[in-house]
Amino acid sequence: MASSSITASAVSRRHSWLPRWLTAESALPWLTPVIALLLAFGVYPLLYAVWLSLQERSRVTRQFEFVGLKQWGIALTDPRTWDSFQVTLTYTLVCLVVQVVLGMAIALLLDTERRGYGLLRSLMILPLVVPPAVTGLMFLLMEDAQFGVLSYYLKQLGIIDPDNPLLANNSTALIGVMLADIWQWTPFMVLIFLAGLRALPKEPYEAAAIDGASAIQAFRLITLPLLSRVIAVAVLLRSIDLFRVYDYIYVMTSGGPGTQTETLSFYAGRLFTLANFPYAATLALIVLISLNIIAAVFIKLFKVRF
Amino acid sequence: MRSNPALGILRDVCAWAIVLLFVFPIFWWILASFKPYTAIFNTTPVYWGFEPTLDNYRVTLGGVSRLSLITDEGAAGTVAGGGSSYYSIPSIIDSVIVALGSTVLAVVLSTLCAYGLSRFRFRGQQNFVFWILSQRMMPPIAIAIPIFFMFRDLGLRDSHVGLILAHTLINLPIAVLLMKSFLDDVPVDLDQQAMIDGATRWQTFWLVVMPLVKGGLAATAVLCFIFSWTEFLLSLQLTTQIRTIPVKISTFVTSTGTEWGFITALGSAALVPSFIFIVLVQKHLVRGLTLGSLKD
Repeated sequence: MASSSITASAVSRRHSWLPRWLTAESALPWLTPVIALLLAFGVYPLLYAVWLSLQERSRVTRQFEFVGLKQWGIALTDPRTWDSFQVTLTYTLVCLVVQVVLGMAIALLLDTERRGYGLLRSLMILPLVVPPAVTGLMFLLMEDAQFGVLSYYLKQLGIIDPDNPLLANNSTALIGVMLADIWQWTPFMVLIFLAGLRALPKEPYEAAAIDGASAIQAFRLITLPLLSRVIAVAVLLRSIDLFRVYDYIYVMTSGGPGTQTETLSFYAGRLFTLANFPYAATLALIVLISLNIIAAVFIKLFKVRF
Repeated sequence: MRSNPALGILRDVCAWAIVLLFVFPIFWWILASFKPYTAIFNTTPVYWGFEPTLDNYRVTLGGVSRLSLITDEGAAGTVAGGGSSYYSIPSIIDSVIVALGSTVLAVVLSTLCAYGLSRFRFRGQQNFVFWILSQRMMPPIAIAIPIFFMFRDLGLRDSHVGLILAHTLINLPIAVLLMKSFLDDVPVDLDQQAMIDGATRWQTFWLVVMPLVKGGLAATAVLCFIFSWTEFLLSLQLTTQIRTIPVKISTFVTSTGTEWGFITALGSAALVPSFIFIVLVQKHLVRGLTLGSLKD
């Protein structure tokens, strides 16, 4: 590039005493503050977790003892780990699909210049500003079997059985929690998709209209391909947060009834509060490794470039 | 699109119905904060016909003690509450300090980093960004414990600075990705032109590029603010004296009962600052979240 030679010569004039990688003409100085912060506060917790996962608290001395991969062996053969892994996957996939599909549908609906839609778009973002812990309480109150407004209407509509409260029932408790997540994060998807839709060029649609394409064909053949990268990034960011879900479950069900709604990260959290730190750290690392694999595969598959 | 008026009306009806469905829980929540206890707990939903009360706000925001409320008016409290304080103005101040502090820090650091990523290509850049993103993949509970020990040794435990650093840490991945996308939208030619005209790199960054990404800065700032304002777990683990709003609200769930009136009141009050932020930068926010992905 011609530019780099120009800038390089400009720099050599100004800072000839500094090696180039230390000047503002290379990436390193710009990245340094972030790298420093992540190394100080991000890497230490990781190393600490890895160290913990190789320990065991001795029954006799109450001190940590090195036990190698023992915790990992226990974790991988613990049926409760696999159950919570399954709950996590179900939770992530269902919420993700609903949020993407619903988010896209609402974004398409609101993407118009008709009167009043600016207000609608602002109102649609509102759920995002509620703290998740408060959202959990909100839905806990609304899904209360006796006094909940949501339970009341669902009963009226015959969708839920009056004798089986949503959150206390094995088969529906997870759905009850997912409702809170879907309510809170569908607007996030709407926001991202709306931004994407508003930035689309007009010409392909005009051409398609001349060719007599239907609205559905235009969506499938023009909108989806053009939005594919926006969708990919949104799905990536959302999957990471969904897979680590904690707040809603902590507030709404504490993993119950039994362990029906216990996700991996909630199981890890429960072990932390029971002071079984080595095993909890192992589970946390399993979450981290799973997410790394999922994200790496996803980035490869959908060719996301940073 | 040439549209049929009937279809247009159908669209309006659907749009309003869906948006109102999403707004309903918030409406219900705010409504509950003005209700006396008996109206919150009614087997059929109560929309009107209750006597609106400000008691919940007087306790949480006005510092009126819960006990005097009962003796003065003989009403309201039917659930036994603990002796804990419900006065929450200090929590709101703590939350504002932490959210503003971590927002400023995250935006400054991520902007510098994003400029470096956007203007210089280096080997392993993709992996470097993935590493930053992966900082968000650890369950917060697993970060909280080691950071707790670390802060204890550094004397940062239970300090605003500590919590600001922790929130900055969890916000950085998203902030860096966002800021990079905005900076990618600013043509590199502008930088080169400025430097040929004699500007230093720093002047170029500060005087040429920054004014062009003001919208992006605002959008990133709002998201960081919201994430910090709503964060629960790290705040819960790292502080005891300082109580951010979500943590404060969680203390209203006591062993003797859940103080729904106070929870709804403080929850409603906590929406106001974030919402003001959103309204102020709504235009930029929508633009901002394409993450630059539409470029090619």
